Amino acid sequence: MTPRIYLLLTSLGTIFAYDSADVFAFVKKNCVACHNASVSSGDINLAGFETAQSFDDNREIWERAVSKIKTGEMPPPSMKKPPAQESAALTHFLEAEFARQDRTAKPDPGRITARRLNRTEYNNTIRDLLAVDIRPADEFPNDEAAFGFDNIGDALTLSPVLLEKYLYAAERAVRTAIFGPEKRKPAAVHYSAPVRINDTVDRPALPKDLFHYDESGLSTRHAFHVLHRFPVDGEYSFRVVLNGHRPNQSEPATPSFWIDGKMIREWSVDATDLEGQIVEVRVPVTAGEHLLSASYLKNYHGLPPKYNGPQPSARPPEPMISVRGKLTEKDIEVLRKYGTKIKTDRIETRVDNRFESIDVGGPFTQPQGPSPASTRQIFICPQQTPACAQTIITTFARRAFRRPVRPAEAAPFVQLYSLARQQGDGFQEGIATALQGVLVSPNFLFRIERDPVAAGKAFYAPVSQYELASRLSYFLWSSMPDDGLVNAAAQGRLRQPAVLRAQVQRMLRDAKSRALIENFAGQWLQFRNIDVMKPDPGKFPDFDESLRFAMRRETELFFEEMVRKDGSVLNVLDANYTYLNERLARFYGVAGVTGPAFQRVDMSQSPRGGGVLAQGSILTISSYSTRTSPVLRGKWILENLLNAPPPPPPPAVPSLDESKTGESASLRQQMEEHRKNPACASCHSRMDPLGFGLENFDAVGGWRTMDGKFPVDATGTLPGGKTFRGPVELKASLLDGKEAFVKGMTDKLLTYALGRGLERPDRRVVAAVAAQLAERNYRFSALVQSIVESLPFQQRRLSAGPLSGAKSE
Amino acid sequence: MNFLTGKHIDRRMLLRGAGAVLGLPLLDSMRPALAAKAPQSPGRVGVVYVPNGIVMKDWLPEKTGADFTFTRILKPLERFRDDIVVVSGLSNHAAVKAKGGGHAKASGSFLSCSQPKYTAGADVRAGITFDQIAAQKFAADTRVASLQIGCEDARMIGNCDTGSSCAYTNSLSWKNPETPMAVEVNPRSLFERLFGTVDPSLDAATRARRALYKKSILDMTRESTQSLVSTLGAQDKRKMDEYLTSIREVETRIAKAEKDPEIPLGEKPSGIPFDYTEYVKLMFDLQVIAFQADISRVSTMMLGREGSVRTYPEIGVPDPHHPLTHHRGHPDFIEKVTKINCFHVELFSYFLDRLQATKDGDGTLLDHSTILYGGALSDGNQHSSHNLPLLAAGHAGGQKGGRHVAAKPMTPAANLFVDMLNRAGVPVERFGDSTGRLDLNG
Repeated sequence: MTPRIYLLLTSLGTIFAYDSADVFAFVKKNCVACHNASVSSGDINLAGFETAQSFDDNREIWERAVSKIKTGEMPPPSMKKPPAQESAALTHFLEAEFARQDRTAKPDPGRITARRLNRTEYNNTIRDLLAVDIRPADEFPNDEAAFGFDNIGDALTLSPVLLEKYLYAAERAVRTAIFGPEKRKPAAVHYSAPVRINDTVDRPALPKDLFHYDESGLSTRHAFHVLHRFPVDGEYSFRVVLNGHRPNQSEPATPSFWIDGKMIREWSVDATDLEGQIVEVRVPVTAGEHLLSASYLKNYHGLPPKYNGPQPSARPPEPMISVRGKLTEKDIEVLRKYGTKIKTDRIETRVDNRFESIDVGGPFTQPQGPSPASTRQIFICPQQTPACAQTIITTFARRAFRRPVRPAEAAPFVQLYSLARQQGDGFQEGIATALQGVLVSPNFLFRIERDPVAAGKAFYAPVSQYELASRLSYFLWSSMPDDGLVNAAAQGRLRQPAVLRAQVQRMLRDAKSRALIENFAGQWLQFRNIDVMKPDPGKFPDFDESLRFAMRRETELFFEEMVRKDGSVLNVLDANYTYLNERLARFYGVAGVTGPAFQRVDMSQSPRGGGVLAQGSILTISSYSTRTSPVLRGKWILENLLNAPPPPPPPAVPSLDESKTGESASLRQQMEEHRKNPACASCHSRMDPLGFGLENFDAVGGWRTMDGKFPVDATGTLPGGKTFRGPVELKASLLDGKEAFVKGMTDKLLTYALGRGLERPDRRVVAAVAAQLAERNYRFSALVQSIVESLPFQQRRLSAGPLSGAKSE
Repeated sequence: MNFLTGKHIDRRMLLRGAGAVLGLPLLDSMRPALAAKAPQSPGRVGVVYVPNGIVMKDWLPEKTGADFTFTRILKPLERFRDDIVVVSGLSNHAAVKAKGGGHAKASGSFLSCSQPKYTAGADVRAGITFDQIAAQKFAADTRVASLQIGCEDARMIGNCDTGSSCAYTNSLSWKNPETPMAVEVNPRSLFERLFGTVDPSLDAATRARRALYKKSILDMTRESTQSLVSTLGAQDKRKMDEYLTSIREVETRIAKAEKDPEIPLGEKPSGIPFDYTEYVKLMFDLQVIAFQADISRVSTMMLGREGSVRTYPEIGVPDPHHPLTHHRGHPDFIEKVTKINCFHVELFSYFLDRLQATKDGDGTLLDHSTILYGGALSDGNQHSSHNLPLLAAGHAGGQKGGRHVAAKPMTPAANLFVDMLNRAGVPVERFGDSTGRLDLNG
């Protein structure tokens, strides 16, 4: 390879030549002292990099060098800095070299390994195929993830245990569709309230101003929330057990029960000691997940006058019994008169009424028989004849395989039908048997793409119309293609630019695109993890299930607006809006949001600012259970927003002594100590400042100005020397690096869309898509459209073609 | 037959084979190790635990030795006079010495006789429980080393009793000092753990047909996958080979399972029964089947969690259990607690019925079991762990019955556990804070 010479225009306006020999001289002078065969800091040895061939052979290492030199991380502060002009010339040269490599490389769409449906895709596909929403895959083992996503063909394995589950799931799903929901006998599920609020410490017993509080009670710590999955439609009973106390002389407590934020019923319970009191209600509920809540309505109304609460009680004080020793005759008389609940003077001042548990029982009455929708989808031929059986089975197989089915392919399923009939089973039983066979076929369980018959010697070829329809539907809906897509494919029109664009727009607007938010955004930004976070209940007593649900919902709604209303992807970094309900708004300290429903809220005046870095979900998943971690948050930003994941820490690095945090030294002081170790500094100088910018958020995203005994210091200095204070300024500086963000997001979305790890030829695609996005106002649909139109999404490398040309990353 | 709403007689028919007989399901893990068992029946160890203490004046027989009389609470066990030993005078010193909530430290130390660490965090620590010593011994011979069963939900997290971790009240068995063993509260899950996902309510002919279809489906899937493989590229071929391997493995398992002996099962439970009596009896039934089929030889069962606020309207006690036990001498409350105590013992008598009615080797299951019944508190009002309410049932290792053994006051309860382990065929000399072996026949 001949050395190429680039003429560079420097900031001083001078033009000078820079060639590969200059690169090697630069490396020798500035890098090799630490990165050689014997020292090899960071496992990098640059000593042998002396030919232009190394730009191609060791591209990844060169790229890392460029990025570190550009951020100012390398050479490290302890070493002599080369003149800025030289560094700039070097990085320009190398970037131009990389671009040239990419430009001249042979285009390669790559090859996607047959993808097994993952759990989400299986549930959604069964839902759309049979019109039954029983989520059988919830019982399957977890899917293996790779490159950050659980839809990667190479990673998704299939074990005998999973096959067992497939057989069982096929039986359940098909029988539900043909014969109606499984008959369930009433069963009970018990949910205990996890933390007893009378045991929490450092909490004022009562809100300071009793005239202003959440009268629905849903956002108070007296409430109890639980997410329950109802197996089938039916009538269910809810038994709510109370606990705790209200002061003697209070008006009755008013427990209430809610489903999905709608009040079902309220009661009045006249007792001081509420432990074990029970209220019950029975209502019809649809199958699926619902949020159950128990709260006390107007909890601080009707307290004794000395509490200065609203509508104070007018009742005379009730007699009380002494708290210690044997009961006196008088005590027993009081007890006989007022029932067996003990009223003692010791509990008089507590307003710690709460809930002990919620029991869900049912179903008591269950709708019977198959749903009309299921019957319509399966029994498309009205007679119970062999001919109709053949039609029914073949049509079902075509839908399940997401492509036309040859008669020979359908024949074995028809044989299953015949077998059942020979055994004396009826028509429906025969169809059920055949359909179960379809649902364990590899053509259903896997999305297998085939080389076109007439591909000849081509290196790659377009995927078929039907394969393209499946690529689209599993990308945007995590489910099978609907009639609209299949019809366009059948007519051979799906690849027409106008048709394709209209289909994508239609799919994004469809409610099913929620899958893209849950599965793509939820995994990319990891906010799915909010479901399993366990913040320390002693340190964060406010964090309960309702807050957890609200946090997840906020982030989902935030993305939903971006997807449905085609917002700018830069909103992820910083936005002036979010979605809050009263619970979350109170937690964030945002005024003016009432009730359990979410509403769009302007955040431009809030010190929290907008974007995902102001959202409780993200701030919680990037913290430890007991405290914040600027390192984790910094790492999260680098990985997910700036597409620059730091390498893993070197072995044998002591971790922070958490017990001292906030007491003997602030977290920041401790971390600065940590960073004095040069082995740590190179990465931590990038991670930590980003995390410090978020220190005003505690480990569950609450706003704070003190950390333990120390005031929060939310200033940071990025390796380039840029400084900021607080989350709003941090986000402004992140926006300066929006190219990196857009590339990172494109990279992740393309990975998710293709279901494979990206390879070098895909980089050009990522760069092109990201560049187009900048021209199209960063609109989300533009990103999706560009990906859908891209070479790797539209085409497929043929197996006959050479396997080279694609160096794996 | 109906596990949930069926009458008594139906449940009894369960183990006599009147219920559906089905080929055991597919997975190895579902196949009870019935074949090739030693001719001599192994010992079984069981614990049935009641929360919140027992009213001692209505529990403890006055006389000791063979001519004791059955007290009000023990009355339902009178027909098992020759099968039980009432034991008094035992203390759990670990519970007395430990720091923490009265309920937490009692149940957290009950079967280990080791002090639970006072913490509400993840650093819970107690001791290995005696049932787990037996489970270790039998692990090689059985498919499920031990069962932990609860009749009250135990998914509490955090702090359950004045600063003590919920782990101490959620679980009774500890695999080792750091690992409490979660209880199974859902009979459906317990059933599936023992027997797999088959539906035993179908008649034999239907089940046979469905089994045939399943085999045909697998057969057909294997063939079509094989023909698919030849048309694919290398990576896709690898995925299909993986699928083929799974199909063949499942086919092999089915073939093996078909050779298994058949045992009768009732209908698969649909979930937690609404009625507490049905619930507890169902859980007893499943333990009996597990013992009978030698799927497991060790089980511990909690009729409730310490601090339980279950109400018992079915026996005229609509008040929650725990506050009642803090009766402070009030006779109305004490009466209600006694009623609950009687009710639990009556439920326990059903378990002994089932064990006695089930043939096992040269005798019955009861002949080869040693079952502890009782609580970790005597007086729930005072949270006392002295003079614990305990009795041992069964005849494992020659255990006799028909006696009230009064140990010297303050004898460690661990001494009793040493005896029970030895009778079950687990030779140990010491356990927990034991000072020797309390011979139940002595």
